[in-house]
Amino acid sequence: MEKPLLQVKNIWKAYDELQVLKGVSFDVEEGEVKVIFGPSGSGKSTLLRCINMLTPPDKGTVILQGTNLMDSDTNLNMIRSKIGMVFQHFNLFLHLKAIDNVSLGPRRVLGLSKDEATERALDALIQVKMEKWADHYPAQLSGGQQQRVGIARALVMNPVLILFDEPTSALDPELIGEVLQVMLDIAKSGTTMVVVTHEMGFARAVATEMIFIDEGVIVEKGTPRHFAISPETERAKQFLHRLEVLYGHHEELLEPEDKEEGNS
Amino acid sequence: MIQVLPRWLEDLLTVLSYSDELIAGLSTTLSLYFTALIMGFFLGLGFAIGRQYGGIITSRISTAYIELIRGTPLLVQLFLFYFFPYSLSATLELLGLLPLPLDWSIQIIGPGGQVITILNHRILTCYLMLGLNSTAYQAEYLRGAIASVSAEQLLAAQSLGLSRAGGIRSIVLPQSLRRVIPSWSNEAAYLPKYTVVAYFIGVEDLFAAAHFIVARTFLTLTTYLLVALIYLVLVTVISRILDYVHDRTKIPGL
Ligand SMILES: Nc1ncnc2c1ncn2[C@@H]1O[C@H](COP(=O)(O)OP(=O)(O)O)[C@@H](O)[C@H]1O
Ligand SMILES: [Mg+2]
Repeated sequence: MEKPLLQVKNIWKAYDELQVLKGVSFDVEEGEVKVIFGPSGSGKSTLLRCINMLTPPDKGTVILQGTNLMDSDTNLNMIRSKIGMVFQHFNLFLHLKAIDNVSLGPRRVLGLSKDEATERALDALIQVKMEKWADHYPAQLSGGQQQRVGIARALVMNPVLILFDEPTSALDPELIGEVLQVMLDIAKSGTTMVVVTHEMGFARAVATEMIFIDEGVIVEKGTPRHFAISPETERAKQFLHRLEVLYGHHEELLEPEDKEEGNS
Repeated sequence: MIQVLPRWLEDLLTVLSYSDELIAGLSTTLSLYFTALIMGFFLGLGFAIGRQYGGIITSRISTAYIELIRGTPLLVQLFLFYFFPYSLSATLELLGLLPLPLDWSIQIIGPGGQVITILNHRILTCYLMLGLNSTAYQAEYLRGAIASVSAEQLLAAQSLGLSRAGGIRSIVLPQSLRRVIPSWSNEAAYLPKYTVVAYFIGVEDLFAAAHFIVARTFLTLTTYLLVALIYLVLVTVISRILDYVHDRTKIPGL
């Protein structure tokens, strides 16, 4: 059997006294879309940052394509260039135009020439339908547009895996749809993704497995169907119920399959 | 027909007849100023980065330096820095060792045949002390600007595979150097005036030139007004230039 693309094994992480992750393990196969959800403060962001070692775990192992990221001789910069990351607050580089936000990685990390990098960046912007805004600065873009640039910035590196940390939770409701649509497109093109989100519509559409995290441990795993119909644990049940009350369903934000344009 | 000049104009012309001294003084002041400003900028940037991103030791050292310099008078720092080598030299001599050579100087012959001292112990002390002093103030301005760039942007850069240093260089510095301009203008405008401390250890700056002229002509008011005007013009020009640079480097939309 093929080895999983990503193996997360028994991850522990504390900030001083606060034990945030308490032995989290899961595998991600190539082409999978893993959705992680759970209450605020349960350690989801920390878990994602442990995967690309922006926050190195205290204990445990992370293995990407056979390379153990906890090995001291692993070149983490090189590994990170293969793992895309999309942030809750976009974290675009404010002094750079959209196109330069996207071409920075290819230029500075992959060592492409300015022209090659710009060309690739433009392709990535087209993928997220932001090519018309290439020359705008982040502060001149809406949240949804900024997040699409953030996604392009990750895509342009041709990562083997993209991590999404609540990519739509900082957005006004009317802007969520355009971002989810782009993420759906990427998921359907076969990109391996680990997505922290509470958008159950997105999860139902593309998630291969969902992981419910609470207080630093995995409480329950299952398919979107499993969580929709028969969550087993009381905590998951309660949380899903609260989500529904708080957010309702955003499925209506996703446009039907047969339509071409995702935004407008 | 003899036209009688107004009294003030006559005084001014008398003072201006010392243009050699004024120009020599002004060029000393300017070179002290620009040297200290530039030295302070690069060292200050080092301290600011050290304080913001360094480990605990680097950050402690940077903080201590900044607080020490900002907490003590410049003139006291200058005197300590100036006299310390003499005390050291005296001590060495007492111990039967060779004294430090402190009366060296580098001179050039000016266009009019006059001898111009471009560097000696006093002048070097002024360059270094003004630079080291400005370092502390600039470090604080720079650190403020660096801290105002969100740490998340640096994380985003690292998530692309840039090293931390690479992220600081391509993401944090371009933004903080833009943001620092308005507060950094303060230092750029204060520093020309601080250079007058040079006079107190016998460096012939603009202020010293003014003293010299007053001693010769007794035109106290005219001389100091003229000198004040020169500082004012200098500071105004610098502020304007920085305002212009700030305007031109603004990030659209912010
Ligand atoms: N850099 C940090 N330093 C200290 N505490 C942190 C840090 N980052 C997160 N935490 C704390 O760790 C816990 C989990 O945070 P986080 O991983 O962001 O949770 P989630 O993304 O699920 O909301 C929270 O209590 C948070 O306050
Ligand atoms: Mg979070």
